Amino acid sequence: METVSHLILVFISIALVNNLVLTKFLGICPYLGVSRRVDMAFGMGCAVTFVITISGTVTWVINNLVLQPIGMDYLKYIAFIMVIASMVQLVEMYLRKFFPSLYESFGIFLPLITTNCAILGTCLFIDLWGYNFLEALVGSFGGGLGFTLVICMMGGIRENLEWADIPKALKGAGITLITAGIMTLAFMGFSGMIK
Amino acid sequence: MPARRRRYRIKCELIGRDEVEEIKQLERPESLVHFLRGLWAENAVFRQMLGMCPVLAVTGQLQPALTMGAATTFVLLCSALVVSLMRNLLVGHLRILMFTLTIATFVTIADLLLQAYLPEMSVKLGPYVPLIIVNCLIIGRAEACSSRKGIFTSVADALGMGLGFTFGLCVLATIRELMADGALFGVAVMPAGFVNWNVMKLPAGAFITLGILLGLTNHFFKKA
Repeated sequence: METVSHLILVFISIALVNNLVLTKFLGICPYLGVSRRVDMAFGMGCAVTFVITISGTVTWVINNLVLQPIGMDYLKYIAFIMVIASMVQLVEMYLRKFFPSLYESFGIFLPLITTNCAILGTCLFIDLWGYNFLEALVGSFGGGLGFTLVICMMGGIRENLEWADIPKALKGAGITLITAGIMTLAFMGFSGMIK
Repeated sequence: MPARRRRYRIKCELIGRDEVEEIKQLERPESLVHFLRGLWAENAVFRQMLGMCPVLAVTGQLQPALTMGAATTFVLLCSALVVSLMRNLLVGHLRILMFTLTIATFVTIADLLLQAYLPEMSVKLGPYVPLIIVNCLIIGRAEACSSRKGIFTSVADALGMGLGFTFGLCVLATIRELMADGALFGVAVMPAGFVNWNVMKLPAGAFITLGILLGLTNHFFKKA
């Protein structure tokens, strides 16, 4: 029971309190680039959650069971990026074969994910915080869900911003960044949930 | 030089100012054009908005921002050199993977160097050093420039982009450190009565400052 409540705490911590986008600035590119509409944002969020969960777990296994026992820590980054790139490739091939409709809807997002810093960032933070296997699994899934939540909220806000009277110079990225700043202030309200 | 200026004015009257500027651009060596372009016209932070993750994450103070800029420039330069050297060996879809591996190698070197010579900075920057691997700026330059041009042009381009990126980081960090701590490089510069703006230290401050800066650059330097 204790492990379960601990895992729930890890999940809430990474999904809301230490949200990848709003407090760690990971995945800012898709956050600003693909959040123009809610459905696109949701597609991107799902794809990222999928890849983040798999690669967070696999990199944990490779790092803790292969690289550290043989003392090849310095290969960590190269190994991580290779795992992520091949995971994205695998997921792409699997989806194309077995779920063509899902593959169609993900479209261009899948290959883009390799250079999404949210994925590599999550793997690195999991390593930094010294998570165990279950924590890594739950943590990376929570990170992906947190990303989806935030990018969808941003999509919703930006759909409404289309009709707002924004100063000309702030159109596009400027107003999106300011909106993100205010959203971060709102998310700070969650920080009381842990400890 | 009045003679040169007079000639310039006559040329402008004859064929129009934009054309004269364009010819001037064409007459410059390619590497210089690439170098200057990275500094401002295609500045990574203010114009192209590439590599936003470190821009927001490490600009709470000037010192880490400067270290981050230097590390990114180092990786950008080395990978531009190597990618440019092997540009004729690259094939189709494996290209991006080769870029990524090259960049990852140099990031590992930069990370180990930081750990050895600037251990405090290395702890402070934490995972944002390895995250240089997925900085879209570097892959973007490898794809757009180094894999097509010769060594000299690629290196000049990388240097320009790297310096432009460092400049962007430093502008943001100067504003944030001044507002949040009333200091620069950790030395207090604001008058004694200054009240610290704590929000500038938080992630929200980073987002809002960058948003306003982008608005200002759009307003004052917009292309005609």
